[in-house]
Amino acid sequence: MEDDSRKEVILRTHGLSKKFGKRWAAKDLNLEVQRGDVFCFLGPNGAGKSTTIRMVLTLLMPSSGSIEMFGMDLHKHRHAVLSRVCGIVEKADFYLYLSAYKNLEILGSMTRRVQKEEIMQALDVVGLTSRAFEKVKTFSHGMKQRLGIAQALLTKPELIVLDEPTTGLDPQGMKEVRGLIKKLAIDKKMTIFLSSHLLSEVEQVATRMAVINRGELIAQGSVAELLGKEPLEYSIQVSPFDSAVELLKRLPWVVILSAEDGKIELHVEPGHASELNRFLVSNHVEVLSFYPHRTLEDFFLKITEGISDI
Amino acid sequence: MKLFWFETYKIFSRWRTYISFGFIALIVIMTEVVMKLSANEILYRMMRSFQKDFLIFGNVLNGWFITAFIMNSLHIHIPFFITLVAGDIVSSEATSGTVRLLLIRPPSRSKIITAKYLTTLFYTTGLVIFLGLICIIPGLLLFGNGDLIMNYQTKFRIVLIPEAEVPLRMLLAFTAAVWSMTVVASLAFLFSTLAENSIGPIIGTMAVVIVFLVLGNFPFDFFRLLSPYLFTTYMVFWQRFFDDPIPWREIARSAILLGLHNIGLFLIAFIVFNRKDIKS
Repeated sequence: MEDDSRKEVILRTHGLSKKFGKRWAAKDLNLEVQRGDVFCFLGPNGAGKSTTIRMVLTLLMPSSGSIEMFGMDLHKHRHAVLSRVCGIVEKADFYLYLSAYKNLEILGSMTRRVQKEEIMQALDVVGLTSRAFEKVKTFSHGMKQRLGIAQALLTKPELIVLDEPTTGLDPQGMKEVRGLIKKLAIDKKMTIFLSSHLLSEVEQVATRMAVINRGELIAQGSVAELLGKEPLEYSIQVSPFDSAVELLKRLPWVVILSAEDGKIELHVEPGHASELNRFLVSNHVEVLSFYPHRTLEDFFLKITEGISDI
Repeated sequence: MKLFWFETYKIFSRWRTYISFGFIALIVIMTEVVMKLSANEILYRMMRSFQKDFLIFGNVLNGWFITAFIMNSLHIHIPFFITLVAGDIVSSEATSGTVRLLLIRPPSRSKIITAKYLTTLFYTTGLVIFLGLICIIPGLLLFGNGDLIMNYQTKFRIVLIPEAEVPLRMLLAFTAAVWSMTVVASLAFLFSTLAENSIGPIIGTMAVVIVFLVLGNFPFDFFRLLSPYLFTTYMVFWQRFFDDPIPWREIARSAILLGLHNIGLFLIAFIVFNRKDIKS
Protein backbone atom coordinates (compact mmCIF):
# COMPACT_ATOMS: atom_id res chain seq x y z
CA MET A 1 0.00 0.00 0.00
CA GLU A 2 1.24 3.43 -0.93
CA ASP A 3 2.32 5.62 1.94
CA ASP A 4 -0.41 8.22 2.53
CA SER A 5 2.11 10.92 3.28
CA ARG A 6 3.56 10.59 -0.23
CA LYS A 7 0.24 10.98 -2.03
CA GLU A 8 -0.61 14.26 -3.70
CA VAL A 9 -3.17 16.28 -1.78
CA ILE A 10 -5.65 17.58 -4.36
CA LEU A 11 -8.08 19.26 -2.00
CA ARG A 12 -7.06 20.99 1.17
CA THR A 13 -9.09 23.37 3.31
CA HIS A 14 -7.49 25.75 5.76
CA GLY A 15 -9.64 26.84 8.69
CA LEU A 16 -12.69 26.74 6.47
CA SER A 17 -15.70 28.26 8.21
CA LYS A 18 -19.19 29.37 7.31
CA LYS A 19 -21.52 31.29 9.54
CA PHE A 20 -25.24 31.74 8.90
CA GLY A 21 -26.46 34.46 11.21
CA LYS A 22 -25.12 33.51 14.61
CA ARG A 23 -24.74 29.82 13.82
CA TRP A 24 -21.52 28.26 12.60
CA ALA A 25 -22.50 25.72 9.94
CA ALA A 26 -18.84 24.83 9.46
CA LYS A 27 -16.06 25.82 11.78
CA ASP A 28 -12.33 25.77 11.26
CA LEU A 29 -12.29 22.75 8.97
CA ASN A 30 -8.93 21.43 7.85
CA LEU A 31 -9.60 18.67 5.37
CA GLU A 32 -7.23 16.82 3.11
CA VAL A 33 -8.29 14.74 0.15
CA GLN A 34 -5.52 12.81 -1.55
CA ARG A 35 -5.37 11.73 -5.17
CA GLY A 36 -7.10 8.37 -5.63
CA ASP A 37 -9.14 8.61 -2.45
CA VAL A 38 -12.77 7.74 -2.13
CA PHE A 39 -13.01 10.27 0.65
CA CYS A 40 -16.20 10.06 2.65
CA PHE A 41 -17.38 13.01 4.59
CA LEU A 42 -19.52 11.58 7.31
CA GLY A 43 -21.82 13.24 9.77
CA PRO A 44 -25.37 13.33 11.03
CA ASN A 45 -28.00 15.43 9.30
CA GLY A 46 -27.28 19.11 9.80
CA ALA A 47 -23.63 18.48 10.70
CA GLY A 48 -22.32 20.84 8.03
CA LYS A 49 -21.45 18.39 5.25
CA SER A 50 -23.50 20.08 2.54
CA THR A 51 -22.31 23.51 3.61
CA THR A 52 -18.70 22.37 3.28
CA ILE A 53 -19.31 20.75 -0.10
CA ARG A 54 -21.09 23.87 -1.34
CA MET A 55 -18.08 25.96 -0.32
CA VAL A 56 -15.77 23.55 -2.13
CA LEU A 57 -17.91 23.92 -5.26
CA THR A 58 -18.17 27.75 -4.93
CA LEU A 59 -21.91 27.73 -4.29
CA LEU A 60 -21.33 29.29 -0.87
CA MET A 61 -18.69 31.86 0.00
CA PRO A 62 -16.69 30.92 3.12
CA SER A 63 -16.97 33.30 6.07
CA SER A 64 -13.30 32.61 6.72
CA GLY A 65 -10.57 30.22 5.71
CA SER A 66 -9.53 29.08 2.27
CA ILE A 67 -9.76 26.18 -0.13
CA GLU A 68 -6.81 24.92 -2.13
CA MET A 69 -7.31 22.49 -4.99
CA PHE A 70 -4.58 21.03 -7.18
CA GLY A 71 -2.21 23.36 -5.37
CA MET A 72 -4.16 26.48 -6.39
CA ASP A 73 -6.37 28.78 -4.41
CA LEU A 74 -9.93 28.00 -5.49
CA HIS A 75 -11.19 31.56 -5.58
CA LYS A 76 -8.13 33.02 -7.28
CA HIS A 77 -7.97 30.29 -9.93
CA ARG A 78 -11.62 29.37 -10.13
CA HIS A 79 -11.70 28.56 -13.84
CA ALA A 80 -8.55 26.44 -13.83
CA VAL A 81 -9.62 24.55 -10.72
CA LEU A 82 -13.24 23.92 -11.66
CA SER A 83 -12.19 22.68 -15.10
CA ARG A 84 -10.76 19.68 -13.26
CA VAL A 85 -13.66 19.14 -10.88
CA CYS A 86 -17.25 18.12 -11.23
CA GLY A 87 -19.99 17.39 -8.78
CA ILE A 88 -23.54 16.80 -7.80
CA VAL A 89 -24.96 18.72 -4.88
CA GLU A 90 -27.83 16.89 -3.24
CA LYS A 91 -30.08 15.65 -6.01
CA ALA A 92 -29.14 15.95 -9.63
CA ASP A 93 -31.46 18.48 -11.22
CA PHE A 94 -31.59 19.04 -14.93
CA TYR A 95 -33.49 21.07 -17.48
CA LEU A 96 -36.57 18.89 -17.55
CA TYR A 97 -37.75 20.26 -20.88
CA LEU A 98 -34.51 19.19 -22.61
CA SER A 99 -33.33 15.70 -23.50
CA ALA A 100 -30.64 13.91 -21.52
CA TYR A 101 -28.30 14.39 -24.46
CA LYS A 102 -28.95 18.13 -24.73
CA ASN A 103 -28.53 18.58 -20.98
CA LEU A 104 -25.14 16.90 -21.14
CA GLU A 105 -24.15 18.86 -24.22
CA ILE A 106 -24.95 22.20 -22.57
CA LEU A 107 -23.45 21.39 -19.18
CA GLY A 108 -20.39 19.65 -20.59
CA SER A 109 -19.66 22.43 -23.04
CA MET A 110 -19.44 24.89 -20.18
CA THR A 111 -16.23 23.15 -19.19
CA ARG A 112 -14.80 22.20 -22.59
CA ARG A 113 -15.85 21.24 -26.09
CA VAL A 114 -17.56 17.85 -25.95
CA GLN A 115 -18.13 15.51 -28.88
CA LYS A 116 -21.29 13.53 -29.49
CA GLU A 117 -19.38 10.27 -28.95
CA GLU A 118 -18.23 11.45 -25.53
CA ILE A 119 -21.78 12.26 -24.50
CA MET A 120 -22.98 8.87 -25.67
CA GLN A 121 -20.09 7.16 -23.87
CA ALA A 122 -20.95 8.93 -20.61
CA LEU A 123 -24.58 7.90 -21.02
CA ASP A 124 -23.45 4.36 -21.73
CA VAL A 125 -21.45 4.19 -18.49
CA VAL A 126 -24.60 4.98 -16.50
CA GLY A 127 -26.85 2.81 -18.66
CA LEU A 128 -28.94 5.59 -20.19
CA THR A 129 -28.02 5.28 -23.87
CA SER A 130 -31.48 4.14 -24.87
CA ARG A 131 -33.04 7.20 -23.18
CA ALA A 132 -30.54 9.72 -24.54
CA PHE A 133 -33.00 11.70 -26.60
CA GLU A 134 -35.93 11.60 -24.22
CA LYS A 135 -36.82 14.62 -22.14
CA VAL A 136 -35.49 14.43 -18.60
CA LYS A 137 -38.96 15.10 -17.21
CA THR A 138 -39.80 11.47 -18.06
CA PHE A 139 -36.89 10.16 -15.94
CA SER A 140 -37.19 8.60 -12.49
CA HIS A 141 -35.20 10.01 -9.58
CA GLY A 142 -32.66 7.20 -9.88
CA MET A 143 -32.20 7.86 -13.58
CA LYS A 144 -31.64 11.55 -12.92
CA GLN A 145 -29.04 10.67 -10.33
CA ARG A 146 -27.29 8.43 -12.85
CA LEU A 147 -27.51 11.20 -15.41
CA GLY A 148 -25.91 13.42 -12.79
CA ILE A 149 -22.98 11.04 -12.64
CA ALA A 150 -22.85 10.98 -16.44
CA GLN A 151 -22.54 14.77 -16.55
CA ALA A 152 -19.85 14.58 -13.92
CA LEU A 153 -17.95 12.02 -16.01
CA LEU A 154 -18.35 13.86 -19.28
CA THR A 155 -15.65 16.43 -18.67
CA LYS A 156 -13.23 13.78 -17.42
CA PRO A 157 -12.65 15.48 -14.07
CA GLU A 158 -9.86 14.50 -11.72
CA LEU A 159 -12.07 15.06 -8.70
CA ILE A 160 -15.77 14.30 -8.39
CA VAL A 161 -17.64 15.82 -5.48
CA LEU A 162 -20.89 14.11 -4.55
CA ASP A 163 -23.20 15.38 -1.87
CA GLU A 164 -25.43 12.62 -0.51
CA PRO A 165 -25.56 10.88 -3.89
CA THR A 166 -27.99 8.16 -2.84
CA THR A 167 -30.51 10.36 -1.07
CA GLY A 168 -34.05 9.48 -2.05
CA LEU A 169 -33.07 6.43 -4.06
CA ASP A 170 -34.63 3.00 -3.62
CA PRO A 171 -32.31 0.13 -2.59
CA GLN A 172 -31.71 -0.85 -6.20
CA GLY A 173 -30.89 2.76 -7.13
CA MET A 174 -28.55 3.07 -4.15
CA LYS A 175 -26.77 -0.09 -5.17
CA GLU A 176 -26.37 1.14 -8.73
CA VAL A 177 -24.97 4.49 -7.65
CA ARG A 178 -22.57 2.88 -5.19
CA GLY A 179 -21.46 0.54 -7.96
CA LEU A 180 -20.84 3.51 -10.21
CA ILE A 181 -18.81 5.29 -7.56
CA LYS A 182 -16.58 2.24 -7.12
CA LYS A 183 -16.26 1.93 -10.88
CA LEU A 184 -15.18 5.56 -11.21
CA ALA A 185 -12.61 5.19 -8.48
CA ILE A 186 -11.17 1.89 -9.65
CA ASP A 187 -11.59 1.90 -13.45
CA LYS A 188 -11.34 5.63 -14.16
CA LYS A 189 -8.88 6.40 -11.37
CA MET A 190 -10.89 9.38 -10.27
CA THR A 191 -10.74 10.89 -6.82
CA ILE A 192 -14.11 11.00 -5.15
CA PHE A 193 -15.15 13.32 -2.35
CA LEU A 194 -18.43 12.04 -1.07
CA SER A 195 -20.66 13.16 1.75
CA SER A 196 -23.11 10.86 3.39
CA HIS A 197 -24.92 10.19 6.60
CA LEU A 198 -25.36 6.53 5.64
CA LEU A 199 -22.76 4.50 7.47
CA SER A 200 -23.30 1.42 5.34
CA GLU A 201 -22.64 3.46 2.24
CA VAL A 202 -19.41 4.87 3.62
CA GLU A 203 -18.33 1.47 4.82
CA GLN A 204 -18.75 0.02 1.35
CA VAL A 205 -16.96 2.64 -0.69
CA ALA A 206 -14.60 4.73 1.45
CA THR A 207 -10.82 4.57 1.54
CA ARG A 208 -10.43 7.67 3.70
CA MET A 209 -12.93 9.61 5.70
CA ALA A 210 -13.61 12.57 7.89
CA VAL A 211 -16.30 12.85 10.51
CA ILE A 212 -17.99 16.16 11.15
CA ASN A 213 -20.53 17.12 13.75
CA ARG A 214 -22.10 20.50 14.43
CA GLY A 215 -19.76 22.05 11.93
CA GLU A 216 -16.59 20.78 13.57
CA LEU A 217 -14.20 18.12 12.38
CA ILE A 218 -14.04 15.25 14.83
CA ALA A 219 -11.79 12.75 13.07
CA GLN A 220 -10.00 12.32 9.78
CA GLY A 221 -7.86 9.58 8.30
CA SER A 222 -7.89 6.35 6.35
CA VAL A 223 -10.77 4.02 7.13
CA ALA A 224 -8.36 1.29 8.22
CA GLU A 225 -6.49 3.70 10.45
CA LEU A 226 -9.61 5.08 12.11
CA LEU A 227 -11.36 1.76 12.55
CA GLY A 228 -8.17 -0.07 13.40
CA LYS A 229 -8.00 1.76 16.69
CA GLU A 230 -11.10 -0.06 17.81
CA PRO A 231 -11.28 -3.70 19.08
CA LEU A 232 -13.18 -6.06 16.80
CA GLU A 233 -16.49 -7.44 17.87
CA TYR A 234 -18.37 -10.28 16.19
CA SER A 235 -21.71 -12.01 16.31
CA ILE A 236 -21.79 -15.72 15.65
CA GLN A 237 -24.57 -18.28 15.42
CA VAL A 238 -23.45 -21.80 16.10
CA SER A 239 -24.69 -25.29 16.73
CA PRO A 240 -24.49 -26.94 19.25
CA PHE A 241 -24.72 -23.73 21.18
CA ASP A 242 -23.68 -24.80 24.70
CA SER A 243 -20.58 -26.71 23.69
CA ALA A 244 -19.52 -23.80 21.50
CA VAL A 245 -19.77 -21.43 24.48
CA GLU A 246 -17.65 -23.81 26.55
CA LEU A 247 -15.04 -24.06 23.81
CA LEU A 248 -14.86 -20.28 23.38
CA LYS A 249 -14.27 -19.77 27.09
CA ARG A 250 -10.99 -21.65 26.68
CA LEU A 251 -9.58 -19.17 24.19
CA PRO A 252 -7.46 -16.41 25.79
CA TRP A 253 -7.96 -13.98 22.88
CA VAL A 254 -11.74 -14.18 23.02
CA VAL A 255 -14.07 -12.45 25.47
CA ILE A 256 -17.70 -13.50 25.40
CA LEU A 257 -19.87 -10.44 25.73
CA SER A 258 -23.19 -12.20 25.67
CA ALA A 259 -24.54 -15.64 24.80
CA GLU A 260 -28.27 -16.02 24.41
CA ASP A 261 -30.98 -17.00 21.95
CA GLY A 262 -28.52 -19.03 19.90
CA LYS A 263 -26.31 -16.00 19.28
CA ILE A 264 -22.93 -15.24 20.81
CA GLU A 265 -21.53 -11.72 20.91
CA LEU A 266 -17.79 -11.74 21.39
CA HIS A 267 -14.72 -9.60 21.38
CA VAL A 268 -11.82 -11.04 19.38
CA GLU A 269 -8.35 -9.60 19.51
CA PRO A 270 -7.13 -8.30 16.15
CA GLY A 271 -5.79 -10.95 13.79
CA HIS A 272 -7.66 -13.91 15.29
CA ALA A 273 -10.96 -13.84 13.39
CA SER A 274 -10.15 -16.55 10.87
CA GLU A 275 -8.45 -18.63 13.57
CA LEU A 276 -11.63 -18.49 15.59
CA ASN A 277 -13.64 -19.84 12.69
CA ARG A 278 -11.17 -22.67 12.10
CA PHE A 279 -11.13 -23.53 15.80
CA LEU A 280 -14.89 -23.90 15.97
CA VAL A 281 -15.14 -26.00 12.82
CA SER A 282 -12.29 -28.28 13.86
CA ASN A 283 -14.11 -28.86 17.16
CA HIS A 284 -17.23 -30.04 15.32
CA VAL A 285 -19.19 -26.85 15.89
CA GLU A 286 -21.29 -25.83 12.93
CA VAL A 287 -20.88 -22.09 12.22
CA LEU A 288 -24.22 -20.86 10.90
CA SER A 289 -23.22 -17.21 10.67
CA PHE A 290 -20.15 -15.18 11.48
CA TYR A 291 -20.14 -11.48 10.99
CA PRO A 292 -18.33 -8.49 12.44
CA HIS A 293 -20.25 -5.80 14.16
CA ARG A 294 -20.70 -2.75 12.02
CA THR A 295 -17.49 -1.27 13.24
CA LEU A 296 -17.97 2.03 11.46
CA GLU A 297 -21.26 2.49 13.21
CA ASP A 298 -19.62 1.69 16.54
CA PHE A 299 -16.81 4.07 15.74
CA PHE A 300 -19.17 6.79 14.62
CA LEU A 301 -21.46 6.47 17.60
CA LYS A 302 -18.52 6.39 19.96
CA ILE A 303 -16.87 9.52 18.65
CA THR A 304 -20.11 11.43 18.37
CA GLU A 305 -21.33 10.14 21.72
CA GLY A 306 -22.68 12.92 23.85
CA ILE A 307 -22.36 15.45 21.09
CA SER A 308 -24.52 13.83 18.45
CA ASP A 309 -28.23 13.78 18.16
CA ILE A 310 -28.26 11.43 15.18
CA MET B 1 -20.92 33.82 -26.82
CA LYS B 2 -21.32 30.12 -26.09
CA LEU B 3 -23.13 30.89 -22.85
CA PHE B 4 -25.39 33.35 -24.66
CA TRP B 5 -26.24 30.69 -27.23
CA PHE B 6 -27.03 28.14 -24.51
CA GLU B 7 -29.27 30.60 -22.69
CA THR B 8 -31.08 31.45 -25.91
CA TYR B 9 -31.49 27.76 -26.70
CA LYS B 10 -32.90 27.16 -23.22
CA ILE B 11 -35.50 29.93 -23.35
CA PHE B 12 -36.61 29.00 -26.85
CA SER B 13 -36.96 25.36 -25.78
CA ARG B 14 -39.72 26.30 -23.35
CA TRP B 15 -43.29 26.65 -24.48
CA ARG B 16 -43.90 29.65 -22.21
CA THR B 17 -41.56 31.69 -24.40
CA TYR B 18 -43.94 31.27 -27.31
CA ILE B 19 -47.00 32.34 -25.30
CA SER B 20 -45.97 35.95 -25.82
CA PHE B 21 -45.47 35.57 -29.56
CA GLY B 22 -48.74 33.66 -29.89
CA PHE B 23 -50.74 36.18 -27.89
CA ILE B 24 -49.29 39.15 -29.74
CA ALA B 25 -50.03 37.54 -33.10
CA LEU B 26 -53.55 36.71 -32.00
CA ILE B 27 -54.33 40.16 -30.57
CA VAL B 28 -52.83 42.05 -33.50
CA ILE B 29 -54.45 39.94 -36.23
CA MET B 30 -57.80 40.06 -34.43
CA THR B 31 -57.55 43.84 -34.04
CA GLU B 32 -56.69 44.26 -37.70
CA VAL B 33 -59.53 42.05 -38.86
CA VAL B 34 -62.02 43.80 -36.56
CA MET B 35 -60.76 47.20 -37.76
CA LYS B 36 -61.11 46.08 -41.35
CA LEU B 37 -64.68 44.97 -40.71
CA SER B 38 -65.53 48.20 -38.83
CA ALA B 39 -63.55 50.52 -41.10
CA ASN B 40 -66.40 52.94 -41.78
CA GLU B 41 -67.28 53.39 -38.12
CA ILE B 42 -63.64 53.91 -37.15
CA LEU B 43 -63.14 56.44 -39.92
CA TYR B 44 -66.23 58.35 -38.82
CA ARG B 45 -65.02 58.50 -35.20
CA MET B 46 -61.54 59.51 -36.27
CA MET B 47 -62.67 62.28 -38.52
CA ARG B 48 -65.59 63.75 -36.62
CA SER B 49 -63.42 65.84 -34.31
CA PHE B 50 -61.55 67.61 -37.08
CA GLN B 51 -63.58 67.23 -40.28
CA LYS B 52 -65.12 70.67 -39.68
CA ASP B 53 -61.71 72.32 -39.87
CA PHE B 54 -59.79 70.10 -42.33
CA LEU B 55 -60.35 68.61 -45.68
CA ILE B 56 -58.74 65.20 -45.67
CA PHE B 57 -58.20 63.03 -48.73
CA GLY B 58 -56.60 59.66 -49.28
CA ASN B 59 -56.29 56.37 -47.44
CA VAL B 60 -56.46 57.56 -43.82
CA LEU B 61 -57.10 54.16 -42.28
CA ASN B 62 -53.92 52.62 -43.67
CA GLY B 63 -51.42 50.03 -42.43
CA TRP B 64 -49.24 52.66 -40.72
CA PHE B 65 -52.13 54.12 -38.81
CA ILE B 66 -53.21 50.66 -37.70
CA THR B 67 -49.64 49.95 -36.52
CA ALA B 68 -49.44 53.20 -34.52
CA PHE B 69 -52.88 52.50 -33.06
CA ILE B 70 -51.92 48.99 -31.94
CA MET B 71 -48.60 50.19 -30.50
CA ASN B 72 -50.48 52.70 -28.39
CA SER B 73 -52.95 50.09 -27.25
CA LEU B 74 -50.40 47.41 -26.33
CA HIS B 75 -47.82 49.35 -24.39
CA ILE B 76 -49.17 47.87 -21.13
CA HIS B 77 -49.44 44.32 -22.46
CA ILE B 78 -45.98 44.02 -23.95
CA PRO B 79 -44.22 44.53 -20.57
CA PHE B 80 -46.20 41.64 -19.20
CA PHE B 81 -45.03 39.35 -21.99
CA ILE B 82 -41.46 40.47 -21.43
CA THR B 83 -41.59 39.71 -17.73
CA LEU B 84 -42.73 36.15 -18.49
CA VAL B 85 -39.22 35.39 -19.70
CA ALA B 86 -37.11 38.09 -18.01
CA GLY B 87 -38.63 37.35 -14.60
CA ASP B 88 -38.01 33.66 -15.02
CA ILE B 89 -34.56 33.46 -16.56
CA VAL B 90 -32.57 33.40 -13.30
CA SER B 91 -35.19 32.43 -10.74
CA SER B 92 -36.26 29.31 -12.65
CA GLU B 93 -32.71 27.96 -12.28
CA ALA B 94 -33.14 28.23 -8.51
CA THR B 95 -36.62 26.69 -8.61
CA SER B 96 -35.50 23.73 -10.67
CA GLY B 97 -32.20 23.31 -8.83
CA THR B 98 -30.17 23.66 -12.03
CA VAL B 99 -28.46 26.72 -10.59
CA ARG B 100 -26.26 24.30 -8.64
CA LEU B 101 -25.18 22.53 -11.81
CA LEU B 102 -24.60 25.82 -13.56
CA LEU B 103 -22.53 27.56 -10.92
CA ILE B 104 -20.10 24.74 -10.28
CA ARG B 105 -18.86 25.03 -13.86
CA PRO B 106 -15.70 26.92 -14.76
CA PRO B 107 -17.37 30.02 -16.25
CA SER B 108 -17.60 32.74 -13.62
CA ARG B 109 -20.86 33.97 -12.20
CA SER B 110 -20.21 37.31 -13.90
CA LYS B 111 -20.15 35.62 -17.31
CA ILE B 112 -23.25 33.58 -16.56
CA ILE B 113 -25.32 36.53 -15.38
CA THR B 114 -24.14 38.67 -18.30
CA ALA B 115 -25.09 35.94 -20.78
CA LYS B 116 -28.50 35.67 -19.17
CA TYR B 117 -28.98 39.43 -19.33
CA LEU B 118 -27.97 39.60 -22.98
CA THR B 119 -30.40 36.77 -23.72
CA THR B 120 -33.14 38.72 -21.94
CA LEU B 121 -32.39 41.77 -24.09
CA PHE B 122 -32.31 39.59 -27.19
CA TYR B 123 -35.72 38.15 -26.37
CA THR B 124 -37.12 41.63 -25.62
CA THR B 125 -35.82 42.98 -28.91
CA GLY B 126 -37.17 39.96 -30.76
CA LEU B 127 -40.60 40.39 -29.21
CA VAL B 128 -40.88 44.07 -30.13
CA ILE B 129 -39.59 43.40 -33.66
CA PHE B 130 -42.15 40.61 -33.96
CA LEU B 131 -44.85 43.04 -32.83
CA GLY B 132 -43.68 45.50 -35.47
CA LEU B 133 -43.67 42.95 -38.26
CA ILE B 134 -47.01 41.42 -37.29
CA CYS B 135 -48.53 44.94 -37.23
CA ILE B 136 -46.97 46.37 -40.35
CA ILE B 137 -47.04 43.52 -42.87
CA PRO B 138 -50.66 42.38 -42.45
CA GLY B 139 -51.60 46.04 -41.82
CA LEU B 140 -50.24 47.17 -45.18
CA LEU B 141 -51.72 44.11 -46.90
CA LEU B 142 -55.16 44.68 -45.41
CA PHE B 143 -55.33 48.46 -45.29
CA GLY B 144 -52.79 49.63 -47.85
CA ASN B 145 -50.29 52.48 -47.74
CA GLY B 146 -50.85 56.17 -47.05
CA ASP B 147 -49.95 59.21 -44.96
CA LEU B 148 -50.01 58.77 -41.21
CA ILE B 149 -52.39 61.02 -39.33
CA MET B 150 -51.80 61.20 -35.59
CA ASN B 151 -54.65 62.81 -33.68
CA TYR B 152 -53.39 64.05 -30.29
CA GLN B 153 -56.78 64.82 -28.76
CA THR B 154 -55.40 65.79 -25.36
CA LYS B 155 -53.09 68.33 -27.00
CA PHE B 156 -55.77 69.52 -29.46
CA ARG B 157 -53.64 68.96 -32.53
CA ILE B 158 -53.13 66.58 -35.38
CA VAL B 159 -49.88 65.67 -37.08
CA LEU B 160 -49.69 64.50 -40.66
CA ILE B 161 -46.64 62.51 -41.66
CA PRO B 162 -46.18 62.03 -45.40
CA GLU B 163 -46.22 58.46 -46.67
CA ALA B 164 -42.55 58.64 -47.72
CA GLU B 165 -41.43 59.57 -44.21
CA VAL B 166 -43.52 57.04 -42.31
CA PRO B 167 -41.30 53.92 -42.70
CA LEU B 168 -38.28 55.71 -41.22
CA ARG B 169 -40.35 57.20 -38.39
CA MET B 170 -41.82 53.76 -37.71
CA LEU B 171 -38.34 52.23 -37.60
CA LEU B 172 -37.18 54.90 -35.14
CA ALA B 173 -40.32 54.45 -33.03
CA PHE B 174 -39.85 50.70 -32.85
CA THR B 175 -36.18 51.14 -31.97
CA ALA B 176 -37.24 53.46 -29.16
CA ALA B 177 -39.91 50.96 -28.09
CA VAL B 178 -37.24 48.25 -27.85
CA TRP B 179 -35.15 50.60 -25.70
CA SER B 180 -38.13 51.33 -23.44
CA MET B 181 -38.97 47.68 -23.04
CA THR B 182 -35.41 46.82 -22.03
CA VAL B 183 -36.00 48.76 -18.81
CA VAL B 184 -38.95 46.53 -17.98
CA ALA B 185 -36.78 43.55 -18.88
CA SER B 186 -33.96 44.82 -16.65
CA LEU B 187 -36.32 45.33 -13.73
CA ALA B 188 -37.80 41.84 -14.10
CA PHE B 189 -34.27 40.48 -14.48
CA LEU B 190 -33.19 42.12 -11.23
CA PHE B 191 -36.21 40.70 -9.41
CA SER B 192 -35.41 37.33 -10.95
CA THR B 193 -31.93 37.33 -9.39
CA LEU B 194 -33.44 38.15 -6.00
CA ALA B 195 -36.17 35.50 -6.05
CA GLU B 196 -36.21 31.73 -6.12
CA ASN B 197 -39.42 31.39 -8.08
CA SER B 198 -40.80 33.05 -11.19
CA ILE B 199 -44.13 34.30 -9.88
CA GLY B 200 -42.65 36.96 -7.61
CA PRO B 201 -40.53 38.66 -10.28
CA ILE B 202 -43.36 38.61 -12.84
CA ILE B 203 -45.97 40.02 -10.47
CA GLY B 204 -43.47 42.37 -8.84
CA THR B 205 -42.40 43.90 -12.14
CA MET B 206 -45.94 44.32 -13.39
CA ALA B 207 -46.95 45.86 -10.07
CA VAL B 208 -44.13 48.41 -10.32
CA VAL B 209 -44.95 49.25 -13.95
CA ILE B 210 -48.68 49.63 -13.30
CA VAL B 211 -48.25 51.63 -10.07
CA PHE B 212 -45.73 53.95 -11.73
CA LEU B 213 -47.98 54.42 -14.77
CA VAL B 214 -50.95 55.23 -12.54
CA LEU B 215 -48.94 57.63 -10.35
CA GLY B 216 -47.46 59.31 -13.39
CA ASN B 217 -50.89 59.94 -14.91
CA PHE B 218 -52.75 61.36 -11.92
CA PRO B 219 -53.77 64.92 -12.85
CA PHE B 220 -52.69 66.46 -9.54
CA ASP B 221 -49.73 68.71 -8.80
CA PHE B 222 -48.08 66.31 -6.37
CA PHE B 223 -48.07 63.51 -8.90
CA ARG B 224 -46.85 65.88 -11.61
CA LEU B 225 -43.86 66.58 -9.37
CA LEU B 226 -43.33 62.85 -8.95
CA SER B 227 -43.63 62.05 -12.63
CA PRO B 228 -40.04 62.94 -13.69
CA TYR B 229 -38.71 60.38 -11.19
CA LEU B 230 -40.70 57.49 -12.60
CA PHE B 231 -39.10 55.57 -15.43
CA THR B 232 -42.52 54.86 -16.92
CA THR B 233 -42.78 58.55 -17.77
CA TYR B 234 -39.99 58.12 -20.30
CA MET B 235 -41.08 54.74 -21.61
CA VAL B 236 -43.52 56.21 -24.12
CA PHE B 237 -40.83 58.36 -25.74
CA TRP B 238 -41.21 56.33 -28.93
CA GLN B 239 -44.45 58.30 -29.53
CA ARG B 240 -42.35 61.44 -29.99
CA PHE B 241 -41.15 60.12 -33.35
CA PHE B 242 -44.64 60.84 -34.66
CA ASP B 243 -44.44 64.54 -33.61
CA ASP B 244 -43.64 67.29 -36.01
CA PRO B 245 -40.94 68.44 -35.69
CA ILE B 246 -39.35 65.47 -33.92
CA PRO B 247 -38.29 66.66 -30.42
CA TRP B 248 -34.79 65.20 -30.56
CA ARG B 249 -33.63 66.75 -27.29
CA GLU B 250 -36.54 65.23 -25.36
CA ILE B 251 -36.02 61.89 -27.06
CA ALA B 252 -32.30 61.89 -26.26
CA ARG B 253 -33.01 62.75 -22.63
CA SER B 254 -35.55 59.95 -22.28
CA ALA B 255 -33.23 57.46 -24.01
CA ILE B 256 -30.32 58.39 -21.72
CA LEU B 257 -32.43 58.19 -18.57
CA LEU B 258 -33.80 54.80 -19.57
CA GLY B 259 -30.28 53.66 -20.43
CA LEU B 260 -29.08 54.71 -16.99
CA HIS B 261 -31.92 52.70 -15.49
CA ASN B 262 -30.79 49.69 -17.50
CA ILE B 263 -27.21 50.06 -16.32
CA GLY B 264 -28.24 50.57 -12.70
CA LEU B 265 -30.65 47.66 -12.62
CA PHE B 266 -28.19 45.31 -14.30
CA LEU B 267 -25.36 46.35 -11.99
CA ILE B 268 -27.45 45.58 -8.93
CA ALA B 269 -28.45 42.21 -10.42
CA PHE B 270 -24.79 41.53 -11.27
CA ILE B 271 -23.59 42.27 -7.74
CA VAL B 272 -26.43 40.35 -6.08
CA PHE B 273 -25.83 37.29 -8.26
CA ASN B 274 -22.09 37.33 -7.68
CA ARG B 275 -22.48 37.50 -3.92
CA LYS B 276 -25.41 35.17 -3.61
CA ASP B 277 -25.05 32.06 -1.48
CA ILE B 278 -26.77 29.11 -3.13
CA LYS B 279 -28.48 27.38 -0.26
CA SER B 280 -31.36 25.73 -2.13
